[in-house]
Amino acid sequence: MEQPYALPPSDEELVKKTLVDKEQFGELIDRYEAKLTRYIARLGIRNAEDQRDVLQEIFIKVYKNLNGFDTTLSFSSWIYRIAHNEAVSWYRKSSVRPEGHLVSDSDEIFSLLASKDIRADVQFDKTINVAELNKALFSLHDKYRQVLVLRFFEHKEYDEISDILQIPIGSVGTLIHRGKKQLKAALNHEAIRI
Amino acid sequence: MAEQPPQELKQAVLERIEEERVCPKSRWFFWCQDSFIWFLWAVAVFIGAVAIAVTLFVVTHRQYALYEATHENFTTFFVEFLPYLWFAVLAGMVLMGVYNLRQTKRGYRHPLWLLVSSSVMFSFAGGALLQAFGFGYLIDHTLGQQLAIYMSQEKLEQKLWQVPAEGRLIGRRVLEETDAPATTIVFEDISGNRWVTNVTELLPRDLELLRSQKTVRLIGTITDEGNKNFHTCGAFPWLLDDNFSSRELSAERRAFLERAYEHMHRADERLLMLEKEAFAGVATTTAVPVGICANLAIMRKLGIRCEQVACHSF
Repeated sequence: MEQPYALPPSDEELVKKTLVDKEQFGELIDRYEAKLTRYIARLGIRNAEDQRDVLQEIFIKVYKNLNGFDTTLSFSSWIYRIAHNEAVSWYRKSSVRPEGHLVSDSDEIFSLLASKDIRADVQFDKTINVAELNKALFSLHDKYRQVLVLRFFEHKEYDEISDILQIPIGSVGTLIHRGKKQLKAALNHEAIRI
Repeated sequence: MAEQPPQELKQAVLERIEEERVCPKSRWFFWCQDSFIWFLWAVAVFIGAVAIAVTLFVVTHRQYALYEATHENFTTFFVEFLPYLWFAVLAGMVLMGVYNLRQTKRGYRHPLWLLVSSSVMFSFAGGALLQAFGFGYLIDHTLGQQLAIYMSQEKLEQKLWQVPAEGRLIGRRVLEETDAPATTIVFEDISGNRWVTNVTELLPRDLELLRSQKTVRLIGTITDEGNKNFHTCGAFPWLLDDNFSSRELSAERRAFLERAYEHMHRADERLLMLEKEAFAGVATTTAVPVGICANLAIMRKLGIRCEQVACHSF
């Protein structure tokens, strides 16, 4: 009897299939293209052409290193790690400081600063200055901005961030805590209306 | 001409894979890469273990027994003899070990203190094991022989003990001047100088040691530099050519202190007899030892220390 609802293959299954048939890699590209485009944009690669070049490099690297994928990790963390490294490498090659628009709407701002990780003692109104917040985020040190992006924009868990940035889980917590403090300070400094 | 729409990413990537004949790297590549990192970590831990083994050798087999003979106090002795080079090697290897652990598949997940302490612990365990089999001495000795710039403990000891002007010699007896009872012997130091050495103040144990013709250390004083005459106050075994237990080292130290006490005691006896002669008009019949050793600064210092620790009760 035919199964009415077949579950789509997991990423890990697709990796196995890709190693046998490279056409299957297209499915993985489809799954991650949008996510990674958003991610690298948040890391500061804003130009569509640059994004495309970087994404191509990311997927080619993923393909080359499929046999090195550690199955104890999630594929998502692994591909984000490659994307992260590729984006950092792109900045270095281009000798530019990352800049961009991390925040697109007030929900994300609320998610960032009034998350359950921090006491919600700050209230925002709808007139918050998005541009100022972006400026404040990009004034932070890379290591703080990177964890904040992964935690509040990519909605990654601590262990996933640890796997992506290859730092201990304890350090993830510390960086997020310090990053938020610095961001608050930067926002006050920028006289954003809170 | 109409502009072509950008190619779909999926299509572009798959075409590139096809055109450039991109292939996934083999599992072996990653296995070798991972194994190489672990191998480098093991090398770092092993070199760290060597550093620990030599450090343990230095710390546990140092010549604590006779430190007063060469240094003002224990602190100056200890500070001078700590194997700083090996400390630096250990620190370097711990850093290298931590770096390599961080490069392993899941190494980044662990906090720094865990990576550091695990590298140190493995090095320490390996070092203790190596030292248990006598490798600490062997490594230090071999490096000292092979590398002119490496200051092994043996070289350091020789540098400290081959100082005739300060009353210290290393060498061995070569032949006797007279038949028994010998009052002088010929002693050849490691620089090749031959000393006519007065042994009248030596204890039977010292004489026995000299008779064995093994390399020994002498404490005494030069009585005639031109004729190379040396008055010996104590003979001690050369400890670096074998593994000596801490018990043996303690026994050696006790013997050293006893020797000092003995010389001091003899000096007191001599003074007492001289007092009797001078004030009570009593003529002494017993021969009193010459007492050169009792006047040596080191013997005075040790004699006082010996009295403080009551070593005459040994």
